[in-house]
Amino acid sequence: MLAQRLNGAKLLSNSSRLLGSRCLSSSIVSRNSTYRTPDFGSNVKQDRDADKSRSYAYFMVGSLGLLSSVGAKSTVETFVTSMTASSDILAMAKVEVNLAAIPEGKNVVVKWQGKPVFIRHRTPREIQEANSVDVASLKDPQTDADRVQDPQWLVMLGICTHLGCVPIGESGDFDGWFCPCHGSHYDISGRIRKGPAPLNLEIPKYELDGDKLVVG
Amino acid sequence: MSFATIYRVFFKRNAVFVGTIFAAGFVFQPLFDSGITSWYEAHNKGKLWKDVKAQLQLVGDEEAADDE
Repeated sequence: MLAQRLNGAKLLSNSSRLLGSRCLSSSIVSRNSTYRTPDFGSNVKQDRDADKSRSYAYFMVGSLGLLSSVGAKSTVETFVTSMTASSDILAMAKVEVNLAAIPEGKNVVVKWQGKPVFIRHRTPREIQEANSVDVASLKDPQTDADRVQDPQWLVMLGICTHLGCVPIGESGDFDGWFCPCHGSHYDISGRIRKGPAPLNLEIPKYELDGDKLVVG
Repeated sequence: MSFATIYRVFFKRNAVFVGTIFAAGFVFQPLFDSGITSWYEAHNKGKLWKDVKAQLQLVGDEEAADDE
């Protein structure tokens, strides 16, 4: 009888076999118990592969985890992407200018994010003039090379650093820009030379690609 | 690969198990997304804006040709 039961319940460990077939516990109470564990042997699969069923169970748990984590990920992604700028705003963030249409010695003003951007195609003489200035004598010392990517093209924000007026091109004492509001004079590199403005005209982020200028 | 090997490689250490699940998530998500999208577009063929737009352009071209 005992042997038969042992045959049926193959899972029992060695220690419990020593103590008796019915339990895994080794306490006195359980050892003295008269309860007889039913024989489940007839219900146990004959060709049972423990590794296979265990792997199957873990695979199912893992698959559920996969689906939940992907769901959680896409939920988070939805909220995060809702915070990014929409495409119409992104389209406004940059402005493209064809530089081939600007002759040498001419100014062009384009609007970028509601602000004017001055683009000047400088002549060699103007470049020379911008480089001949003694940097130490300037109010906001900056070399011309710091302000341009290509000396031919001067790109800067057309907002006076004093109180935000729009300076007038090709005027003023230094043949650059002149702000009519309070009389600030900027030179051909957009640097403040005379008047109340404290800083040089600001340079926006821009990229030059052959004849194409992208501001923004 | 036997089931014992699968268990030992993927399931035995929890860090590996969870890591595999998360890594598989990054592979599974785009595949699932593109799969569902292509099924949806196949199911609604002719009703989508890109199809309608192509039709409209075809009609527009014909009208332009009539005008000439």
